[in-house]
Amino acid sequence: MENIINIEHLNKSYGYLKAVNDLSFRVKRGELFAFLGVNGAGKSTTISMICGQLKKDSGNIIVCGENIENSFDIISRRIGVVFQNSVLDAQLSARDNLRSRASLYGITGKAFEKRFKELAKLLEFEEFANRPLIKLSGGQKRRIDIARALLHKPEILILDEPTTGLDPQTRRLLWDTVENLRKEKKMTVFLTTHYMEEAADVDYVVILDSGIIAAEGTPLELKNKYVGDYITLYGCDEAKISELGLPYKKIRDAFRITVPNVAKVTELIVSYPDIFTDYEVVKGKMDDVFLAVTGKNLPGGAIK
Amino acid sequence: MKILFNIVRRNLKLFFKDKGMFFSSLITPIILLVLYAAFLAKTYRDSFASALPDGVTIPNSVLNGTVASQLISALLAVSCVTVAFCSNLLMIQDKANGSIRDFTVSPVRRSAVAAGYYIASAASTLIVTISALAVCMIYIANQGWYMTFSDVLLVIIDVVLLTLFGTALSSCVNFFLSTSGQASAVGTIVSAGYGFICGAYMPIASFGEGLQKVLSFMPGTYGTCLLKNHMMRGVFAEMENLGFPPEVMKEVRDGVDYNIYFFDNHVSVSAMYTVLIGAILLFTGLFVLFHIMKRRAK
Repeated sequence: MENIINIEHLNKSYGYLKAVNDLSFRVKRGELFAFLGVNGAGKSTTISMICGQLKKDSGNIIVCGENIENSFDIISRRIGVVFQNSVLDAQLSARDNLRSRASLYGITGKAFEKRFKELAKLLEFEEFANRPLIKLSGGQKRRIDIARALLHKPEILILDEPTTGLDPQTRRLLWDTVENLRKEKKMTVFLTTHYMEEAADVDYVVILDSGIIAAEGTPLELKNKYVGDYITLYGCDEAKISELGLPYKKIRDAFRITVPNVAKVTELIVSYPDIFTDYEVVKGKMDDVFLAVTGKNLPGGAIK
Repeated sequence: MKILFNIVRRNLKLFFKDKGMFFSSLITPIILLVLYAAFLAKTYRDSFASALPDGVTIPNSVLNGTVASQLISALLAVSCVTVAFCSNLLMIQDKANGSIRDFTVSPVRRSAVAAGYYIASAASTLIVTISALAVCMIYIANQGWYMTFSDVLLVIIDVVLLTLFGTALSSCVNFFLSTSGQASAVGTIVSAGYGFICGAYMPIASFGEGLQKVLSFMPGTYGTCLLKNHMMRGVFAEMENLGFPPEVMKEVRDGVDYNIYFFDNHVSVSAMYTVLIGAILLFTGLFVLFHIMKRRAK
């Protein structure tokens, strides 16, 4: 797969504060890519530079084969951005908001009406399309934000913490929509999130810490590299568990044993078949990866 | 063109949806008119009557018409600029709430965004100033009407030009502001100070020579003077018909800034138009340039 975003040695400072420090990474076409990091890690600064909102100090930003320095007009037609906080006009309706934003891309008249209908159906906002945004719920507003980002059928959808504060139903709708867009339109999605379960489902993760890349890889690679697996054993005595000589924790009606890798699990099962009668093996979570890599907990944590 | 039309439509909708912004803009000239009529009209009338040479009398309708025309021309000159500052706040709001990012992330030209703000602000200010002009005309008609149809047309043109000047000036000033607190502070300063420096609250002729020379460099001065020329021409013609001597009329004209001088040279009406239009073009050009420069500097 070709690289659709290519970031090379990107730097950005605010006075003495180095917000982004020699950052290099690639996003492949059609990929669901996630940026993880606590507040101040440099996620939004990087996104702002990719979207042409902020000037970089040095480095290269290549999007869809175009350099942002001299081809932002071309790039801007290929990216759609959902900002962390809604930047639409609260006093205007969804229709008025989308009409004014669509015209920025030259989509007016019948072309706008057609696109508006498509998006209203896709994001299920037909019934509140004529209400002012100020009267909509957070989830309803978020759908309009996403519709705005999709108006011009971008190749890359940039989502800056899109699900923060959303109810589970809207969060599900958002992810279903993103999944459909990826499957049907081969859209690349660049995401920043605090939610580890969202990061667990992506194709590639970059963990940022104080403006530098602390770790990167697929969720599986990161889990294998930075955290172990867990075995949950049901219906056995604590005495037998202690025979294994591994750290364990008693939970409600079972014991959870921490093992370094899957090979160790196989070895244990073969060695102690009488203990392993009812069990399950679970991979470590992205929360654990993040903690192991940065020594920090993400405030958002896992979705409850 | 469609892009610009849609940006202007969005800006105007936001202006009229914001009832506070709309009504505060609309009410400003009305409050000024009430204050002028209630507190200043009598003072102006007495002062004007006492300034006439001994033995010269003036009919009440002419006196009232003169004072009303002087007051209204001053009021309109101030309103066109202060209302523009009141209604030209969307640019600052867009910065404060982040909406501007939705524009800058798109391929739309920065000059189109700037033009969108300018046109919408000029249109909304014009709605208010033309409404104020209509109310002012009713007031003058009630006090003493001496204007011809062409005078009225020229007054309308003056109001339009002064509104465009106010919009261009406020656009340049507001470009550098990013919070509503800053906008409010600037609005207060402009409301308090502009009337003095454009010769609306007090005729420039009543100031010291040095200050007169400084104020003659302000383009707004010529806007006020244009309004005075077109609003007071008829009533001064009536005074001449009544037999007022030419030297008295010259003093009266000089005293109310009907005649204005740039380093002792009388400025003609056509020169006033040239200065005002030049200032509009200059400030509008600067505003568009600021937007383009900002994009490049980012």
